[in-house]
Amino acid sequence: MSEKYLAQPDLDFIHEVIGLGGDTLKKCFQCATCSVACPIAPENSPFPRKEMIAASWGLKDKLIGNADIWLCHECGDCTTLCPRGAAPGDVMGAIRSIAISEYAQPKVLAKAVNDRSQLPKLIAVPAIWLALMAFITVFMGDFMAKIFNVFGVHWYHGDHGGEVIAHANFISSWLVDATFVPLLTASLVVFALGLKRFVSDIHENAVLNGKTDKAELNFKELVMSTIRVIPTILLHKKFNECGENNSRATSHMMLLYGFVGCAIVTGIFFVVLYIFGIPGPYSQLNPVKWLGNVSGILIILGATLLIKDRMAKKSETSTFKDWYLLALVAGLGITGLLSEMTRLGGAKYLTYLVYYIHLIFVFNLFAFLPFSKMAHFVYRTVALGYAEYANRK
Amino acid sequence: MTIDNAAPAGGSILVVGGGISGLTTTLEAAEVGYEVFLVEKNPSLGGRVSQLNQYFPKLCPPTCGLEINYRRLKDSKNIKVFTLAEVEKVEGAPGNYTATIKISPRYVNEHCTCCGECEKVCEGEIDNEYNLGMNKSKAAYLPNNMAFPQRYVLSPSINPEDAKKCAEACKYGAIDLEMEAKIITVNVGAVVWATGWTPYDATKIDNLGFGKYQNVVTNMMLERMAAKNGPTAGKIMRPSDEKAPATIAFAQCAGSRDENHLSYCSYICCMASLKHATYIREQYPDAKITIYYIDLRTPGYKYEKFYKQLKEDKNVFFVKGKVAEVSEASNGNITVVAEDAVTGEKKRETVDMLVLATGMAPSLADNKPQADLKFNAEGFIVNDFEKGGMFGAGCANKPADVVSSNQNATGMALKAIQSLRR
Repeated sequence: MSEKYLAQPDLDFIHEVIGLGGDTLKKCFQCATCSVACPIAPENSPFPRKEMIAASWGLKDKLIGNADIWLCHECGDCTTLCPRGAAPGDVMGAIRSIAISEYAQPKVLAKAVNDRSQLPKLIAVPAIWLALMAFITVFMGDFMAKIFNVFGVHWYHGDHGGEVIAHANFISSWLVDATFVPLLTASLVVFALGLKRFVSDIHENAVLNGKTDKAELNFKELVMSTIRVIPTILLHKKFNECGENNSRATSHMMLLYGFVGCAIVTGIFFVVLYIFGIPGPYSQLNPVKWLGNVSGILIILGATLLIKDRMAKKSETSTFKDWYLLALVAGLGITGLLSEMTRLGGAKYLTYLVYYIHLIFVFNLFAFLPFSKMAHFVYRTVALGYAEYANRK
Repeated sequence: MTIDNAAPAGGSILVVGGGISGLTTTLEAAEVGYEVFLVEKNPSLGGRVSQLNQYFPKLCPPTCGLEINYRRLKDSKNIKVFTLAEVEKVEGAPGNYTATIKISPRYVNEHCTCCGECEKVCEGEIDNEYNLGMNKSKAAYLPNNMAFPQRYVLSPSINPEDAKKCAEACKYGAIDLEMEAKIITVNVGAVVWATGWTPYDATKIDNLGFGKYQNVVTNMMLERMAAKNGPTAGKIMRPSDEKAPATIAFAQCAGSRDENHLSYCSYICCMASLKHATYIREQYPDAKITIYYIDLRTPGYKYEKFYKQLKEDKNVFFVKGKVAEVSEASNGNITVVAEDAVTGEKKRETVDMLVLATGMAPSLADNKPQADLKFNAEGFIVNDFEKGGMFGAGCANKPADVVSSNQNATGMALKAIQSLRR
């Protein structure tokens, strides 16, 4: 620990932690039970005892850039054993939420995503935008086709002689991708900028607190270490060490695989559509389609189990950030599968409506990825990679 | 001891519990002339203090304080003692209560001389509760060597064969197998509840391994081991192999200051562990002791000084960090895990024996009497001085050391007297 450290208490930070589910923070009396109760805390400088005191003193700078907050999987073993009901697990979750907002730019958007009162706006923006896209597709198809013809490109992706219901007839896949590709790119840029600061912060913090044997950060080695931890993440090895919330690891794993599956399917069909020029809907016999369906089911199952788990848990505080993400994930899965089922069932207008709602969810996922709790998959992955790189034990 | 000259006073007082607090209230009230009924549920007076090896502040053996109190008790004509007796209910109002007391049979009358012949012939054994079940005693037994009254007792679970043999062996006709439980009522103007405490059940603290690992003991067990009249005749040894422990760890706040167990500080456990360190250092000059704590509470000048002296000891180590994980290593050794909150390192230490500094649970918590009493959420009696009449004293009122209990018990004697004279 640096001898010349001058504590700069940030009172707003304390209130923020309290507001984001860490309302029990001030009950902590530093007995350090939590650091021992935690099955995944390292031996040297274990968490979350030191995070608890830093948070209650408002030492934001010691927490935001502290990779340890991301090593925590919020399994709640610490909360169960805590003699004061200070719920360190919830406090760590609140700190992570603040850290996400801290690294995501622009700040206004980060604030809005975590503010319940802004939710209508977050839904209205994509709802209006996608309605406009639907309007263009349905009413201005001929006009668009003419423009596209100038460049020698086919506008229609979904017209199979009017026999088959295709979502592209309602919102053109050109417009869908013209919406989501830039959106995802923007999100990735936000992540990249955030990560740059994040990595330098966590390294500085680790050096200052003797949590690493590396003085200079070697970026290439960090990337290699991050790749090395991917099997650990895929198998949820750390998550599975949790005692109290072990069941949550399985549900979370379903979600992860569901999302990975959907990402793969989307990627393949993107290539099929734009490179090979074969538009959907694709046959249900296609193995890629199977993967898509299984992934959708996994997402719904995982989300349902996690929601059930949260509703049953009295010991764990759930705030807007948690419900927003769970609702988003469940909504994505349900509307995704439903839009397919209604399409196959021949309910033309119903399937259009469900697809429209599904796209609103997708918009929320892509646009707010770096600002919502969803961003954990980036920061936690990098933090786990850093812990591997830094020899954090 | 001015009993005979004391001015006659009106009204009687019932004191429930014959431990150090109850004795104090009884004696203080009786010695100024009031009639006192002292009810004790065990076969002997003395309570928890009688189980200690030494007690604060002067580290006297319990005989020291208890003997003089028993002497005062014998000298007073105003005191009527009932052992093996429990208050079933108290009805009425301040100044006029009727208490119903159930007295269980002792099967031994006042002719007993403590010759011990009955014990010799008795074959059946029972858990020795005085030693917290660490050993057995015969079903015909003397509660302890400083028991008051000095009289044997037959366990209700004694088998009839043994009982008969005991009766035959007794030369003094002291064994009366016809004795039956009886119910008596007394009219009193005030009741003082000095019902004391019970060691918190350490098996409830699942992460500390008590009941799972033999060499995890409680502080009261250590106290019994250190006492000359205890199960090991005063030798501190670890239960699994009776080895002299070379390394000992203490886990403070084992159950205390913990919402999952006792939400309050039990007041004396820090001092108890410091005292236990002195027992161990005296018996084993080379033994190493580590005390794991949240913060050491040594209230007052004298206790602070005691702590300071012990800190000088090169073989006693203090670690700020609560033991939160316990496992068994080889040879019955115990591994404790804590985070040293000063260095921020997780510390694993393997020791010969672990002592849990368990706290005090109020005896009445799970066993509330039928009486007009108010309890807090933890089961301690909340005194209503406005209403008067009934009072909690000593550890029935709050966790305390002997000194504070006695001060409190003296005060409650006065409160009781005031209730009579209103």
